[in-house]
Amino acid sequence: MIKLGISAFYHDSAACIVVNNNVIAAAEEERFTGIKHDSSFPKNAIQWVLNESGYTINDINEVNWYENPETKDDRVKTIFNKRPIKTFFLRQRYFKNRKNNSPKNLLQDLGYTGKINYNNHHHSHASFSYYTSPFKDSAILTIDGVGEWETITISKAKGNTIEKLYSIDFPNSLGMLYSTITSFLGFKPNEGEYKVMGLAPYGNPITYHEKLNLIFNHSKQDLYLYQRYFAWEYSERIMFTKRLCQLLELQPRLPEEPITQDHKDLAATLQKLYEQEFKKLLKKAKELTGSSNICIGGGAAYNGVANVLAYKLFKNVHIPFAPSDAGSAIGACLTSHSDVSPYLGPRYNNKFIRRTIENVPGIQFFKLNNIHIVEKAAEFIAAGKIVAWFQDRMEFGARALGNRSILALPRNAKMREKLNYVVKKREGFRPFAPSVVLEEAERYFDIKEPVPFMNIVVKCKVKYLPAATHIDGTSRVQTVTREQNEPYYLLLKEVGRLTGVPVVLNTSFNLKDQTITMTPIQAMKRFMNSDIDVMVMNNFLILKK
Amino acid sequence: MKIINWIKLQIWRWRANREYNKKIKELKKRDPFTYKNF
Repeated sequence: MIKLGISAFYHDSAACIVVNNNVIAAAEEERFTGIKHDSSFPKNAIQWVLNESGYTINDINEVNWYENPETKDDRVKTIFNKRPIKTFFLRQRYFKNRKNNSPKNLLQDLGYTGKINYNNHHHSHASFSYYTSPFKDSAILTIDGVGEWETITISKAKGNTIEKLYSIDFPNSLGMLYSTITSFLGFKPNEGEYKVMGLAPYGNPITYHEKLNLIFNHSKQDLYLYQRYFAWEYSERIMFTKRLCQLLELQPRLPEEPITQDHKDLAATLQKLYEQEFKKLLKKAKELTGSSNICIGGGAAYNGVANVLAYKLFKNVHIPFAPSDAGSAIGACLTSHSDVSPYLGPRYNNKFIRRTIENVPGIQFFKLNNIHIVEKAAEFIAAGKIVAWFQDRMEFGARALGNRSILALPRNAKMREKLNYVVKKREGFRPFAPSVVLEEAERYFDIKEPVPFMNIVVKCKVKYLPAATHIDGTSRVQTVTREQNEPYYLLLKEVGRLTGVPVVLNTSFNLKDQTITMTPIQAMKRFMNSDIDVMVMNNFLILKK
Repeated sequence: MKIINWIKLQIWRWRANREYNKKIKELKKRDPFTYKNF
């Protein structure tokens, strides 16, 4: 059975090919178009997954769409009907777009006329989380902005069945609340949530607690948000109303304005309230399922600070590598457990890379064997250089997990400022994540089990990794094994041999407002236009003259 | 005294509201500053 999985039209459009429940190739559309979180129909990604897997569109047995557009229409219509005049033009635009964006018509344009399965949005999240986990039974908690109607679901999974037990519907949404405050703080929703998470430890969660808490109706049993503070239901320009400003007695921040202590306090309060609600949901999941395992999915599963709370109630926790909508393209196709690696994207051989770099002026390059390239890269990292590390297949999902990464030594306290201000040109408060070999991870970090996908934030046990430790002493760690990524594992081991600590600072290989690097040409441009000292592409060591 | 305080509070509120309106208007002019849900 050859399945094409697609997610599109919210954010993070993606496509994948799944053959007999094995994921062959997957990629996000943003990597091809260069538009961050591209939500358009992923025609480039579809073309690439077909080419990569060696199939044509005619070979596809079925297309699995990650959500049900008709149920979503139902929600949108119902919401618009609450305010028919206010939403008149919005309604016209929405249904015009829907007509143009009909999955059936778009797939017909690609030459596909076969079966299309429309899945439930949150089921796709749940399916991706559970079927990529090692558990045979589990609770599943999915949280995101909104799917068709649902914003939160709790399911029980056993064997190959997933049964939904509980859900909360739009407009009561924890994801939307987080995005609203993100936009209030002057960051772009669906992108700036990481920044809010990074900002939170600098603030006092008490300052705005009483005020922000008033947006919840705690007399209701389930999550209930007073909609008078939000404009989600009728605006596509702004997420909050003047009433929220009045409640907080705080001006919304424009992106270019400085970040004040008030903004930090609000970020801290939001994170605290999110964690409180998250804990309630975990408790509910435990009560409803009785399982000792939990899988977490949906965009909110990127909140690594909250995720760690799951260990208080569950013995084992699984969060997949792309829990947001991109991963749902895969989730929509899976019907049973599958051993899926995050390295599902394009790869380029040494011949292609040589052709790309040989005529570039201002560089010198050397082709080394597998052992020497690791040794040389480790030497540069140990010497305090910033190294771009480009190997094999591109990662699927928001995290660079050692194939499209910028690496540096976390022991140097100034490295964080250098990377933030000089290389990535982003806000100085944002933390960087460390990668560590799994067998030595417990020596440096307070981890409960392997964290291969950087989705749990843990306490750092040592003081000498300042560039990879946030102000509150935590790190969003990635544990690496030889089976998971051999070259990266060997590199970490070599850095450990040279410096005594097998830890490197790992950030995605991109510059400000760019998507993660996909091709050698992109890598070369970014290397030349930044202060990255050294680049390693497969077996090539590239230096600036 | 109470009346004066009340008037001061109203003026403060009026000014704050004016600022909120300005900011919201400005934000609306930017790239869509929302999480897409339609």
